[in-house]
Amino acid sequence: MSGFLAIARRELAGLFVGPLAWALLSIALLLQGWLFVLYLRTSGGDVDLSLRFALGESWAFWALLILVPPLLTMRMISEESRTGLLEFLLTAPVSDAAVVAGKFAAATLFLALLWATALVYALTTAGLGVPPDWGALLGGWLGAVACSALFVAVGLFASALTSTPIVAAFAAVILNLVFVTAPLLGGLSDQPAVRRAVARIDVIDHHKSAFLAGVLDSSYLIFFVAWTLFFLFLAVRAVEARRWR
Amino acid sequence: MISVSHLTRTFGSLRALDDVSFEVARGEVVGFLGPNGAGKTTAMRILTGYLPATAGSARVAGFDVLTQSLEVRRRIGYLPEAVPLYREHRVSEMLEFQARLHALPRRERAARIARVLEQVGLADRRRDLVGNLSRGLRQRAGLAVALLPDPEVLILDEPTSGLDPIQRLEVRALIQALRAEHTVLLSSHILPEIEAVCPRVIIVDQGRIRADGTPDELVTRLAGASHVRLEALVGPDAEGARRALGALRGVRAVHDRGRLGIHHAFDVVCDEDLREDVGALAAARRWALRELSWRRPTLEQLFARIALGAGDDGTLLEPGGSARTPAAPSAAAGAPVALSLAPAAGPPSGPAAPPASAPVSSPQAARVVYNLNPFDRGATRSLSVPKAVEEPGAGPDGAAGR
Repeated sequence: MSGFLAIARRELAGLFVGPLAWALLSIALLLQGWLFVLYLRTSGGDVDLSLRFALGESWAFWALLILVPPLLTMRMISEESRTGLLEFLLTAPVSDAAVVAGKFAAATLFLALLWATALVYALTTAGLGVPPDWGALLGGWLGAVACSALFVAVGLFASALTSTPIVAAFAAVILNLVFVTAPLLGGLSDQPAVRRAVARIDVIDHHKSAFLAGVLDSSYLIFFVAWTLFFLFLAVRAVEARRWR
Repeated sequence: MISVSHLTRTFGSLRALDDVSFEVARGEVVGFLGPNGAGKTTAMRILTGYLPATAGSARVAGFDVLTQSLEVRRRIGYLPEAVPLYREHRVSEMLEFQARLHALPRRERAARIARVLEQVGLADRRRDLVGNLSRGLRQRAGLAVALLPDPEVLILDEPTSGLDPIQRLEVRALIQALRAEHTVLLSSHILPEIEAVCPRVIIVDQGRIRADGTPDELVTRLAGASHVRLEALVGPDAEGARRALGALRGVRAVHDRGRLGIHHAFDVVCDEDLREDVGALAAARRWALRELSWRRPTLEQLFARIALGAGDDGTLLEPGGSARTPAAPSAAAGAPVALSLAPAAGPPSGPAAPPASAPVSSPQAARVVYNLNPFDRGATRSLSVPKAVEEPGAGPDGAAGR
């Protein structure tokens, strides 16, 4: 446990001493802020709708979600395997699972912070006299964090597979795209079996129909937890497999 | 402390380690010596639990490295060759991270960090970014990280590679200071390094242990006897002088190395340093001395022979046994005169000279001479090509023992 905390702490510190985290944060903030104003204008001042856009209803949210986690995770394992730092971590008194979990926690925490920026907009509008639906906002944020956790796990798995960060990022983006675009492709088919299968990986629908509506449904939560754990498990296995190569 | 039995590790078809067994007792400092790719790093990685072995087992501090890996890892400090450190952190931050990984009590952390920084001489660099440190300083920072949890066993992979001579001396001194508290296993391909630091040496090559013992032992056992070199003005009766030398106590053989100008050279083969006895004899006989020196094969020569494959069939490991018959000197078909690492066997002499004492010869390298005299054998000979020389009657002695 202490090893897990030490690694999570170091990863977070490592993120914030480098330029990448700050660059991602500022780009995401700029984009989201600009779009939020745009949503407010087009929706005629509907604060709740605009916040729903910022946390899952818009293409910009999903674009960020597909791109940002891979950029965060791409270096976490692959680069460390190249510089020998992975050798250092794997010979420290810490289990492989704790190494992966620590990195996972750090990246997820960072993204939770990134999505919490929506809170800034909510507080601003509240200060101007239009309080948002706080429950829906919290639900939307939780859903965004759950989606991020899943994509971080995917990214870590990809990072554990290769020693080249850019390849890891590419693989993770493609896997994320599968999750996000599968329902669109599945919608083209009228086979019920295909539709059912697609529904099992439909991240967008699970996020929108529960979290974003302000409903905390455990079955929806489990959907995210299960997929996240599955990819974390794969990532741990991939790290272990490096020892045998 | 470390016990390795029948360890084998293969990477595909490559056998990086092949049935390696050794033991290291508590408090021992053992040097792992071998050329690049000999399997040193692989062995260390297995001991630290980073790599699993294909076959065989290893225990560190009584714990199996595979099944009780975490227990083992709590007890070792490992410095990999690449010295992995987070470049974006300060030295002190890196050490704090290591302290947390090893779950050192919060109260002790600061004191321990200060102590290891003092030990490696980085106390004034604690605020520096690791990425800005020079190679030598980074090496020391890595050593500090490995030392921080006060491990029972230290495993250092090439701890002095990339250091300048002064830094090397410092690291050497540091390792010697650590001997009191830790068991140390270190690898290197730098021989003086190992000879200076390690009371015990394990020589590995191509995944196998070729030799194991103290440097002195190895040299005596594997590389053949040492000798006292005497160059003196002995007068016309060289044979009489040779006999007189051979009659000294402890002398196993005396080889006549022929005249060098007005002086005569002898190699007095013996196990101990007999310079005083030889000197006394020379004084008694009123021989004017030009040289009196104690020469012994170095670990370096031994290592070179092992690494060059001379010991491949294991014959080198036999003390005094001739792995290969030395090439016949000069006469045969105008062959170049052989140059051997060890002195070639002279005519056996003295009652104490068994034939088996002929020192082992390495694969014979041809002696070649660059003769720049354009009129030698006609001017058409290319002067950039060495020519073989025939030395009628001179025997191998002219080339040997220099």
